[in-house]
Amino acid sequence: MKLDIVKWARTKSPWLVHFNTGACNACDIEVLAALTPRYDLERFGAILRGSPRHGDVLVVTGPVTRQVKDRIVRIHEQMPEPKFVAAVGSCASSGGVFRGCYNVYPGLDSVVPVDAYIGGCPPKPEGIINGVAALLAKIKGG
Amino acid sequence: MFGDKVLDLKAPRKRRLFVTVSPSDYKELMKYLAESLRITHISTITGADVGAKIEVMPHLFGLGVELTVKTMVPKDKPELDSVTDIYPGAVLYEREVHDLLGVVFKGHPDLSRLVLPEEWPEGVYPLRKDYKAQQPEPIRKG
Amino acid sequence: MSKFEVPVGPQHPALKEPENFTFVVDGEHIVEVRPRIGYNHRGIEKAAESRTYIQNLYLMERICGICSVAHTTCYAQNVEYLYEKEIPPRAEYIRVIINELNRIHSHLLWLGVAGHEIGFDTLFMYVWRDREHVMDIIEAMTGNRVNYAINTIGGVRRDVTSETIAKARKVLDILEERTKYYKRVAAAELSLISRTKGIGILKPNDAVRLCAVGPTLRASAIKSDVRKDDPYSAYEEIPFNAVSYDLCDVFSRILVRVDETFEAINIIRYCLDHLPSGPVRLKLPRNPPAGESVSKVEAPRGEDIHYVRSDGTEKPARYKVRAPTLGNIPAVCDMLTSKADHTVNIGDIPIVLASIDPCFSCTDRAIKFVDPWKEKKWIWSHEQLDRYARRKGKQ
Repeated sequence: MKLDIVKWARTKSPWLVHFNTGACNACDIEVLAALTPRYDLERFGAILRGSPRHGDVLVVTGPVTRQVKDRIVRIHEQMPEPKFVAAVGSCASSGGVFRGCYNVYPGLDSVVPVDAYIGGCPPKPEGIINGVAALLAKIKGG
Repeated sequence: MFGDKVLDLKAPRKRRLFVTVSPSDYKELMKYLAESLRITHISTITGADVGAKIEVMPHLFGLGVELTVKTMVPKDKPELDSVTDIYPGAVLYEREVHDLLGVVFKGHPDLSRLVLPEEWPEGVYPLRKDYKAQQPEPIRKG
Repeated sequence: MSKFEVPVGPQHPALKEPENFTFVVDGEHIVEVRPRIGYNHRGIEKAAESRTYIQNLYLMERICGICSVAHTTCYAQNVEYLYEKEIPPRAEYIRVIINELNRIHSHLLWLGVAGHEIGFDTLFMYVWRDREHVMDIIEAMTGNRVNYAINTIGGVRRDVTSETIAKARKVLDILEERTKYYKRVAAAELSLISRTKGIGILKPNDAVRLCAVGPTLRASAIKSDVRKDDPYSAYEEIPFNAVSYDLCDVFSRILVRVDETFEAINIIRYCLDHLPSGPVRLKLPRNPPAGESVSKVEAPRGEDIHYVRSDGTEKPARYKVRAPTLGNIPAVCDMLTSKADHTVNIGDIPIVLASIDPCFSCTDRAIKFVDPWKEKKWIWSHEQLDRYARRKGKQ
């Protein structure tokens, strides 16, 4: 199974677009740490891009606050098909520790469709890489 | 100098002082603290709903003491003099108390929204006790 | 006068949180800055009123993921002040160790991000690789890399073992070497100096008038540090220096943070050498007595202040948090406004904003440009702003 993922990753390199919907930054710094030499997400071909128009996978952190809801929906619309969404962290998955607060939506999937949920508060870089790799395998698997 | 106008004075531990005054003496006290005692650092202004009144508490630091000035304004007419002319660093703190509790600071240069979203309804103040927190409605099924 | 607005997207290739500034410009020069925050507003203060004191520990930690332990230390202290009880000395020392490790990780994180803002991506990668040593030792001591959950009301939840102490000493030696290297780079690397010297000036009297906090204040010659002015935890017993520089610009802020990293390394060494023995936790009753309290700590970004009011029940009647970055926003607006003796250009925006170490758990770099003198429409993504800033820097 692992060899298949590596083979797949070699044939297609996903471009990630990262967006913070009101997070505390813990997930963001672990996403960034995944790019640094120790974990090196880039060896899988994944690269962080700035513009959603070049993105394959939208990596979202944070509980979606009211103020960013329209932005995240628009960014999702700007991405060309085929596109996938990974919700990183408990807040993006379900609202996390802020569920029930007056300014926070109950999870990213109440705003855009989500393909992968990576749990943790925050998930470790290994967890993020594992989640992204599993998402890629799911995409490859059809 | 202020002895007779101080309604209450508490010193619960070292370097902590809580001084209560009426709203009409509030600005005069703040001016005295800034100009005569040279206490110029304002850390923040806390607002609290205490039933029929709203308590406004600027927290200052100077002369080695953390000094909290307390004053109460009636909830049905929550107005208080702004201290931004004496403490320019207080602009955002007063704006926040206005946004979340509805206190009007007379003389403040710009009491527009600070933390709540643009579409938040007027007259709804989340930090008041009668407001019940409700999470926003999902825009799609998760 | 026709207004021109350029919304710059909130997502950024490297970190950055949601925030909005409107810049009024005259050609290249910035004339006025208006802040509008709130994208990270999650309603924490309201949520704190419906959770018990212990549950709130976990909420407070997630106000900010980078300086998380500063918030829980401030919170735990605040509630302990209500009880009017002293916690065991070993717990105080462990709190200081974890707080200083947090400070090191936060400053290194910032150095990498600041390097990225100038276009110095190599520095970013090097610094973050070294930062992993700090994350390792934090994980060994607390069980997690980020969001440590080490504090509890009455002390800390875990003790440090002698193996972790030995490991920590080795890591501190490595970190000291690497930080010395970064200081040499900062002092000698011309591209860094030209992009940071004389940029983002904040005069001392403005810093005091606008109530700036933390390294932003200390880089403008004001030696104010909560650990010295209003000592908490074990800081009264620990010898260290409050660092301040008087250059008043972005370069000064870099130097302050690098030197604070050295001071933090020494503070941790002192604590490890003088760690008192004894319990690490004091059991306290569920409901604190009624009363109110104010607690302050020196978070990596500056003075963090919490206020609590208890009515004797298991949930707080009111909890107020003012994170340090909010205190620096009036100061950063002043830094970004052109004055009679120096002008501020659009190209300086990214590095000046980064220099206050904004934690817009707290911020989203949504930047609007308003040019009332020209009739131009202009939309820039943050990527474009960064590229523009780097191009300008090369001139």
